[in-house]
Amino acid sequence: MNHENWSKLARIMSKRSLWMIHFCTGCGAMEMPPVMTSRYDMERFGMHAMATPRQADVFLVTGYLAVKTLKRVVQVYEQMRDPKYVIGFGSCTINGGMYWDSYNTIKDLSKYIPVDVYIAGCMPRPEAIMDSFLKLFDMIDKGEAIGWQKYHKYYDQYKRNQRMAFSYRLDEVKDIKEDDKE
Amino acid sequence: MMAKELFPEAQEIRKGRIRIETQKDKVGEIIKKLKDNSYEHFVMLSCVDWIKEGKFELVYQMWSYQYKEHVMISIKINRDGESMLSMRHLFPQIETYEREIHEMFGVNFIGNPNLKEFILEGWPHMPPMRKDFDTEKFVKDFYYKIPEVKEE
Repeated sequence: MNHENWSKLARIMSKRSLWMIHFCTGCGAMEMPPVMTSRYDMERFGMHAMATPRQADVFLVTGYLAVKTLKRVVQVYEQMRDPKYVIGFGSCTINGGMYWDSYNTIKDLSKYIPVDVYIAGCMPRPEAIMDSFLKLFDMIDKGEAIGWQKYHKYYDQYKRNQRMAFSYRLDEVKDIKEDDKE
Repeated sequence: MMAKELFPEAQEIRKGRIRIETQKDKVGEIIKKLKDNSYEHFVMLSCVDWIKEGKFELVYQMWSYQYKEHVMISIKINRDGESMLSMRHLFPQIETYEREIHEMFGVNFIGNPNLKEFILEGWPHMPPMRKDFDTEKFVKDFYYKIPEVKEE
């Protein structure tokens, strides 16, 4: 078997045993219990919540992120092992949602970490979450869920954006920009 | 004794809700007197920005379990850098409220050793809860200026 067939097989095998990192921010944490428990039962897809990032494959960013939380999110995301997938959850991760003019929440999650699937809505119903899981399986099957590869490829750009949001010190950010030019 | 008897100048907003307007050097003794007269629960310390008057209003709120009465002690200080004495020797929880107000409004409390950053991390701008902090302009200049990741 050549490499391409192997990776295809690996994708087919792995897509039905995704473990989700149990990291909840914002209001999306309220929509997760019905998805995880017997009403909607995400374990029939082979998914369940995992407490440590190193054993998890999927990262659900459930709602708005303060800059302080984003630091933790980036740390957790970098601890997860490849291949890893991110689902942006609700309108807050897309454009800030109802926190569009808040001084302390980020507006667009895909500027800081790559996002594979977005779920629109404020908040999305559990049906929408299940639908996004099926969409993610489909993308993994076709090899389209390549956010983790993008993070390696455009690492400097993601790091620059993260530092711009974290440091607040504009002189420091200017130095990073000059580094990028070189 | 109830707050109305202790301080005749206090106004009764409605039943069980007393408001005392005073000067900043008298706050300590008023809180101490109330504490000795069964107002033993310090509820919270809040801050209001009256930008047209150029004042910050600090409101010390206390509650009595015996009389079921809520007392608000209100003082006004100047917006431009006037500091306030810390009341943490009377109730230790005031230290955290003062720390928050120092971060969100920029009021300095003399005698509080713990005025380091609380919720915001590394925030060099104007304290964000002041009325002259333009949130929308800040968001446009800061978050919307962060470029998107360009894929080649």
